[in-house]
Amino acid sequence: MSATRIHSKPKSWLWGTLTSIRLTVFVLLILATVAVIGTVVPQNQPLGQYLRIFGAGWGELLWRGGFTNIYFSPWFLAPTFLLALNICACIIHGLPQAVKRSTRPLTGGTALALPERGQVTWPAEADPHPVIAGVLRRELGHCRWETHQGQEVYLMERGRCRPLGPYLIHVALLLILAGGLIGKFLGVEGQLPLDQGEVANAFQVGPRTEKPLNFQVRLDKFQVSYYEPGGTPKEFRSDLTFFQNGREVLRATCRVNEPVSFGGLTFYQASYGTEATGPIRLIMQQGNQRQTIEAPLRQPVELPGGRGKIIAMRVDGNFQGYGPAVLMAYSPGSGHPLVFWALKDHPELGEQPGPYRFIVESMPLRYYSVFQVKHDPGVWWVYTGFLLFLPGLYLAFFRPTERWALVLAKTPKGRWQARLLGASPRQREEFAARQERLLMELKRGTPS
Amino acid sequence: MIGQFFGVVMLIYLLVAILFLMEELWSSPRLQAAGRIILWLGLGLQTAGLIGRWVENYRLALVHGPPAAWSEKLRLVILHAPLSNFYESLIFFAWCLPALGLLAFRRYLKGYLAALIAVLSTLLLAYASFGVDSHIKPLMPALKSNWLLVHVVTAFLGYAAFALAFGSAILYLIQERRPRPSLPPLPLIDGLIYRTTVLGFLLLTLGIITGAVWAETAWGRYWSWDPKETWSLITWFIYAALLHARLLKGWHGRRIAWLAVLGFMAVLFTYFGVSFLLTGLHSYLT
Repeated sequence: MSATRIHSKPKSWLWGTLTSIRLTVFVLLILATVAVIGTVVPQNQPLGQYLRIFGAGWGELLWRGGFTNIYFSPWFLAPTFLLALNICACIIHGLPQAVKRSTRPLTGGTALALPERGQVTWPAEADPHPVIAGVLRRELGHCRWETHQGQEVYLMERGRCRPLGPYLIHVALLLILAGGLIGKFLGVEGQLPLDQGEVANAFQVGPRTEKPLNFQVRLDKFQVSYYEPGGTPKEFRSDLTFFQNGREVLRATCRVNEPVSFGGLTFYQASYGTEATGPIRLIMQQGNQRQTIEAPLRQPVELPGGRGKIIAMRVDGNFQGYGPAVLMAYSPGSGHPLVFWALKDHPELGEQPGPYRFIVESMPLRYYSVFQVKHDPGVWWVYTGFLLFLPGLYLAFFRPTERWALVLAKTPKGRWQARLLGASPRQREEFAARQERLLMELKRGTPS
Repeated sequence: MIGQFFGVVMLIYLLVAILFLMEELWSSPRLQAAGRIILWLGLGLQTAGLIGRWVENYRLALVHGPPAAWSEKLRLVILHAPLSNFYESLIFFAWCLPALGLLAFRRYLKGYLAALIAVLSTLLLAYASFGVDSHIKPLMPALKSNWLLVHVVTAFLGYAAFALAFGSAILYLIQERRPRPSLPPLPLIDGLIYRTTVLGFLLLTLGIITGAVWAETAWGRYWSWDPKETWSLITWFIYAALLHARLLKGWHGRRIAWLAVLGFMAVLFTYFGVSFLLTGLHSYLT
């Protein structure tokens, strides 16, 4: 049938394809494959990195083919767009029917189309109504009662809204995708490195691109604390003050997991660091001899008397909780340099190579903290999607659905006859058990 | 101390696996009852062990700053649930399997199926006991969030549900090739695969959603295409495809069973593969 449709009506072929489950599964497989590539190829690295890892040919190919930023390349966006189209088409195709089904209650007329599950008869002189009412109330809860073409019909249905479940889920998915797009095009995201004491009027949104803030923010203090020296970091804490028109408006503490919002932007503690602002003064000690040397960062300094070289390579404001420290490299003339940390507040700690011991006398430092700054109007769309998803999943998969009808009428011979009709598309086991109980209890109520 | 305790639980699960295997081979209801009782015993002991580890975590946290207010105390308790490193996640995964198995399978948790689940739990506990650092370390700043508990619990319950679907799928494939009258009939196993997959899908969805909300407050991005996130999405796609194939295309039986196997491979990669082969934001596991 679909084959003839392809030839006679090309438009409906397109519609048929867009609403087909085959397209969905196909697109899901493509998305999964592209995502796998995205986790195998490291993303958003400089070109040199790819050339080194994958070789010149492959590295170049990955770079030019958009595989190094795959989630924002056509490889990923095109199938995502197709999936969104597919979902939209399916919603348009099926939602009216689903709404109709979940708004139309079971009636005496429609119930007669349900499959028959059993019969019970009573003699003409008995009154089956109290028995039926009792049994139905016990087993099914509240039942409606109608007459239809001279027959009495007891009706019970649960989960009529179930057909809406899948549509809730798919609308939720569209909301999440829309939220992602909104965030991408209308959102702002950037970085703000701040020195201790520095006031910022702008933040970086790209390499060498700044975006002005309509307020000022000052980093009053940045602290890293440790559970115990040499252990796990306990807290990265930035104390911020916000100013509007030169007036202090808000003081707030920004920690990991505790972002600060101001003026429509949210600040997240992203990273931190320490830099030396001048040369480091060291005391070189050998036995009772002491000599002071100055070592600017990352510049080799000849030791007095030609006894080798040292370089101060890196500083840390709070090295593993032991306070300020400098990473030194010492090369005794020829041979490999030896690397060690010299701790300012704990000169006794740490092995140092060579015949000397280097003690830090002073090191001028500045502490800085880096914030992720962003404004994303799409987040609420995404969260709304998340919230819709859950009732959708419940309705689609967990809401029990069943429809029961008990049709009571007199046979031509004057006996009472009850026919039990019912259906439950998903919970076959529970349904069968309930059917058995219903019939058994109804039969127990007959005098024979 | 608690580590050795989990070693005992591991041996109990091993015993359970052997009992259920013998039960299947000799069709013995008595062995089945014994297996069931000992499984409950193991689960009870493991629950006690998890609570013990929780208490221990909390006690060690008190050293670094005792909470003043009642609400701070509650927060500290929630933060120190034993779910914050690789060792604890293995133990919790091993707990989820029999717990969820008893809940989802009820009387069908017997024979090969129960043996397979007990073996999986044994392997997880063995790996945790012998291959992984079990020391309690204080929480790093990124993990200090109330989302930790709900994110990890939903994610691992989801993994466990998919493991149960995998077990049922294996049982289906065995039963289809060499039918045994003592095993449940094929349509019933098919139903078990479906039910556990739906459960896992719900839990995985919850895990991803809670993770996204947490990431939004911690990193300022609900989705960063971190390998863990990406692989959980791939897993989600596979199970979404399974559910669509079954509900809309009427796929049943063998094809669904193979999809459940494929999905569980993706789950394993999301859990182990990503942690060891790929680096990313979730690398505080080890």
